[in-house]
Amino acid sequence: MKRKSYGRDAGLTSRMLFTTFLLGLLYVVFAVVLFNVLNVALVPMILIVVGLAFFQYYTSDKLALAASGARVVTPEQAPELHAMVERLCAMADLPKPKVAMIDTDMPNAFATGRSPKHAAVAVTSGLMRRLDPEEIEGVLAHELSHVANRDVLVMTFASFFAMLAGLLTRFGLYAGMFGGGFGSNRSSNNNQNGVPVWLAVLAISIVVYAISWVLIRTLSRYREFAADRGSALITGAPEHLMSALQKISGQIAVIPAQDLREVSAMNAFFIIPTNVRQKTAELFMDHPPLEKRLAKLAEIAREMGRPVS
Amino acid sequence: MGIFGKSKLKQPADERLFALTTAAVTLQVDVGLVFAGKAALVFKPLSASAFDDVVKAADELLDSVAHDSGSKVTRETDSFGYEWVIVGDPELEDAVAGIHLLASELEQQGFGDRLLAALFRFKGEEHPVYWVYGYKAGVFWPFVPTGGQERDNAKELELKAKLEQELPIESDLSKWFGMFDAPV
Repeated sequence: MKRKSYGRDAGLTSRMLFTTFLLGLLYVVFAVVLFNVLNVALVPMILIVVGLAFFQYYTSDKLALAASGARVVTPEQAPELHAMVERLCAMADLPKPKVAMIDTDMPNAFATGRSPKHAAVAVTSGLMRRLDPEEIEGVLAHELSHVANRDVLVMTFASFFAMLAGLLTRFGLYAGMFGGGFGSNRSSNNNQNGVPVWLAVLAISIVVYAISWVLIRTLSRYREFAADRGSALITGAPEHLMSALQKISGQIAVIPAQDLREVSAMNAFFIIPTNVRQKTAELFMDHPPLEKRLAKLAEIAREMGRPVS
Repeated sequence: MGIFGKSKLKQPADERLFALTTAAVTLQVDVGLVFAGKAALVFKPLSASAFDDVVKAADELLDSVAHDSGSKVTRETDSFGYEWVIVGDPELEDAVAGIHLLASELEQQGFGDRLLAALFRFKGEEHPVYWVYGYKAGVFWPFVPTGGQERDNAKELELKAKLEQELPIESDLSKWFGMFDAPV
């Protein structure tokens, strides 16, 4: 008997396509307007953004690992973690990514890399300490789904024009401040009694940036739902990811696991690190609210006929 | 005020230590926790003879007071190099007063910055419940170790929810550091 596949959610896929369509439409309009307002000046700027995007895309694994202070661990250093990743990769038919650890008490994990062959998954020591093996497996499967879904590629494309708009906003501001800017190559008749070109570009860029920001975030949330679904599919047990999510994003995540005396010794006596909270906010941005993710996972669990506590 | 006569300029942090004695009723009625007869002051000693003298003097003072109230006072150094003055007394009021006396003595001699925390042990659950009082911020937070480096976060949050009205509780959960293997 052929069983129903749980990997697809038609509603989610159509919402994702619709968001992508809106984003594409916005970018086309933006590009057309820009080409009409300032023709030549745009080319070097697009080149810069293309360069940046490619750089980001190609170095995404190394960049993200370095930025988060993660160190790649060998199978000897973290045998259980490696075994878990290998099992999940075999299930999901993925090449094994690099495995990295971040030495921080905040429970968290992320995946990065431009393709499944150049991917890395990283988990924090706080995650390993707080979660049970099944829960860690659920989280790893979620991250591997991001790799399988090619999320780095999708998001790099999605944010390409947002980057351009952001850059133009900045240039527009400088141009306005110093009075020159885009004006060097414009024809005089196109701008005699209207608003200055730099102001128009600035306004359009800000609008484009704002709208694309919302759309990118929406898309990103959809990708999270898709990865949650992928995790449920790989592990066959969404309830473990549910309890992991509760542990990771609930209040409990904030309570430290270290000893007061240890911390005091490290932080020059009594200065308690304040960057802990900022880091969580940063990594959890772009994620849907916990309740919605849990509700979706519970739905999948019911479909699968799994128990939901 | 008898023994507290010296501290006319009361430190705000110290005043809040006594909130625990008022909260004791709620702890017993609502949560079923009673004072386990053990409390401790934790501080980092200075390797200066002036500091030793002050600690010795404070100790003697505490001993004489303890003699009157029937408390037992012992000292211990832990693996982190912190000094523990442990006050054993069945009455929470006496234990709090003893800790306060010692702490304010150290503060008055200018060593207030060496104070790390005060610990009060409660019983009535499967695991011991500690109320940790951080001297720098003058706030309490619950700590429920369950063996090794593990702690019962759910229980701690429940305690916060139930005691919030009566105890000044550290609102920043990321500062709820544990005191594992506490000798009390």
